Amino acid sequence: MTCAETFDFHEPQWCPGCGNFDILVCFKEALCGLGLKPQEFIMVTGIGQASKLGFSVKCNLFDGLHGRALPVATGINMANHKVKLISVSGDGDYYGEGGNHFIHAARRNLNIAVFAGDNRVYGLTKGQASPTSSPGFVTPIHPEGVGGKPISPVLLALASGATFVARAFSGNKEELSGLMRQAIEHKGFALVDIMSPCITFNKTNTFGWFKNRAKPVGPGHDPSSFEAAIKLASAEQDSIATGVIYKACRPAFDARFSALKGETIAARTADFVPGRVRPLFERFK
Amino acid sequence: MKHINIVIAGAAGQGIQSAGEILGKTLLRLGYHVFITHDYQSRVRGGHNFMTLRFSGEPLAASVRSSDYLLALNEESIGLRLGGLGAKGLAFCLEGDKGNHADARLRVLPDSIGPASARGAKFAAVKLSAMLFASLGFPPEILAGSVKKIFGERLKPEILQANLEAVAAVASFIEPIDIRPPSFAPAPSAGRMLISANDAIALGMVAAGIGVYAGYPITPSTSILNLLGTEGPSLGIAVEQTEDEIAALNLAIGASYAGARAACGSSGAGLSLMAEAIGLAGITETPVVIYDGQRSGPAVGMATRTEQADLLSLVHSSHGEFPRAVICPVDHEDSFYLAAEAFNVADAWQVPVFLINDLGQANSESTLEEFDISRVRIDRGLMAPEPAESAPFARYAVTESGVSPRAVPAMSKWLVSCDSHEHDEYGHLTDNPANRVRQHSKRMRKLDGMAASFPGPEIINPGRPVCVIAWGSTVGPLLEAAPTLKEKGIEYSIAVFRYLYPLDPVKVGQALKGFERIYSLEQNYTGQLGKLLRMECGAAIQGHIGKYDGRILTVEDAAGLLESALGGKL
Repeated sequence: MTCAETFDFHEPQWCPGCGNFDILVCFKEALCGLGLKPQEFIMVTGIGQASKLGFSVKCNLFDGLHGRALPVATGINMANHKVKLISVSGDGDYYGEGGNHFIHAARRNLNIAVFAGDNRVYGLTKGQASPTSSPGFVTPIHPEGVGGKPISPVLLALASGATFVARAFSGNKEELSGLMRQAIEHKGFALVDIMSPCITFNKTNTFGWFKNRAKPVGPGHDPSSFEAAIKLASAEQDSIATGVIYKACRPAFDARFSALKGETIAARTADFVPGRVRPLFERFK
Repeated sequence: MKHINIVIAGAAGQGIQSAGEILGKTLLRLGYHVFITHDYQSRVRGGHNFMTLRFSGEPLAASVRSSDYLLALNEESIGLRLGGLGAKGLAFCLEGDKGNHADARLRVLPDSIGPASARGAKFAAVKLSAMLFASLGFPPEILAGSVKKIFGERLKPEILQANLEAVAAVASFIEPIDIRPPSFAPAPSAGRMLISANDAIALGMVAAGIGVYAGYPITPSTSILNLLGTEGPSLGIAVEQTEDEIAALNLAIGASYAGARAACGSSGAGLSLMAEAIGLAGITETPVVIYDGQRSGPAVGMATRTEQADLLSLVHSSHGEFPRAVICPVDHEDSFYLAAEAFNVADAWQVPVFLINDLGQANSESTLEEFDISRVRIDRGLMAPEPAESAPFARYAVTESGVSPRAVPAMSKWLVSCDSHEHDEYGHLTDNPANRVRQHSKRMRKLDGMAASFPGPEIINPGRPVCVIAWGSTVGPLLEAAPTLKEKGIEYSIAVFRYLYPLDPVKVGQALKGFERIYSLEQNYTGQLGKLLRMECGAAIQGHIGKYDGRILTVEDAAGLLESALGGKL
């Protein structure tokens, strides 16, 4: 059995040609590259076609509500700050329904790798606009085209305080699995926004469309510079930068709790006896 | 019952809380029983707020309206609160606040009394407290000691000194005719505490072994977030203020999944936001405790006013069907023990447990004997044995009780999958109809088991022809109103419900058997517990006595409501 096969679980049910297949392959490669075993990490997913990736990986899984994966992950981190956390979902889940949670998880610098399958459309509900859909994108709800400006996940993550911000294209597997590996190893909030085609519902942002625009950042980009990252992410037109856009070192969410030093709360719970409340009685005397 | 009731009134920011803290702690240390309630507006400065501080030689179960003393911290408070002062009561105010008031009960403290460094409104609370203490015949040193102890670290030394000099000077100002020592003796007890119901709940959570707590600031539940947050570092509890209440409950669910005892807290508005995640806890069978400090709704309602109107919404909150429990302490002591027990219920049945209170009780403070730690037990419920090798775990194994053994991910070799979708025994999504029936009925069976395991209502003063059903903070006033009403020929039993849902029809039927008439007295319009008892148990509830003005139910309120409802019908 190959390493990747040890993670095989339920057969995925995406359309043939869906970018999610490539994301799944790269994810397993990244896990193998890091030598992680199924019991050594917890996956937290939301709702949407991208989220369903969780069912195809043999591991610990909490498949939560639409948009709410990151608060669940925050709770897991507080109970067990030693376990690796990985979240996989899509653009509608992270940037639409869960936008507020995304901002605050990044602000907290929650120690988690977030893999966003960003196909710029709602696949599960069959073809509505997503927060990243291009202006003018036509759907039955928007026959005159989507108005407004699409969210830039990279700029949003940068502005919110994420400490590892990357973009990838599902068709460039070598780069994607490498970025996933780096994100999982990063201490803090790590986003990999993955441009991924929805072959059924997005006839605008196709495999070819992404392929023609995805341009790996060259050695000329300094990912430690916040200004350079903002500039790079703001300048996207016909070329979309892939690779590590920004990487910084800032204490992760769990580092600020003295309750999360050493042994985890989950491990110490068995030692929490009723008598530990006794010192608090003095406050009320 | 012999008692003295003091009203301290003024604007927000004038030191009502500080005066209450000093007087409450001092009376506690003198050995009296104390019951404090807070009546305040949703503002940081100005307006009209007051607190009542009742003390006695016997335990107190409620607040009363009629006062023996009024400490008016501003002119407006004299006009607004003098009406509640008994004919033989005394009102104290500073010279500058007297205005046109010319009441024989009013005692005005001249500015010339006390040091020049202690002039002005910010010294009003301490000066009027000193007048009160002198009138009660207590030596000023006792009050000065409390001021020093409580404010010693909060105030600049020169301000503290000014306060202490003011206490000494004001004490000698009281005329001998106004010195009225209590007609009851204190009943000192070592270890006695003065504690709010919310703080008692926070302590109960600590005793239960809580590891993670989350919340978003909201009246009246913020004090739990504050206490656990402040003490978290020393106790090993991780507390987070989340971006919203949706995140708070999802966070608690994540923490519970990962092995901690976890809870979140809010009030009705936040509970409405949590509705979706309540269902998540239900279908993923994740134990979690959710505190609801009920306040006057709907929407923002009256943000600082009390109500008991969330019960039916909590019984039905979130779409679809799933088991949950609703538990409500009736007083401060109960708040501690039931908060601790709520975690056992959550773990035993792997359900969301609503621990509810109402704003009036949540904020009110009462003297209690030190909590008995030996009465708290910690039971984490069914856990699965470890496998020899890592393997997917049948987290939702179908059992007769509906409860499946749990395993903690990453703490065990089991691979634990929990799913918000309908799922098979391994937590994998499926909409297979036969599986749906198996899993749904497995979950729903827990309701019968829980109802059977919960104690039925407690009947106080049994054997009367009339029974009044009560939950939460209405129990205390009903108890204290009973002797007064008995003199008027009105007698009643009280059915006290702590475990509000699920209900066992047999236990409820037995408890309510034999009464000629049954009423519910609740702080809501519709009589929610009465409705629930009819719906779940077919109980014959003849009427509902409702109060929904947002104010705390006093002993006089309870007596008045019962008299008008029952008076002609016995």
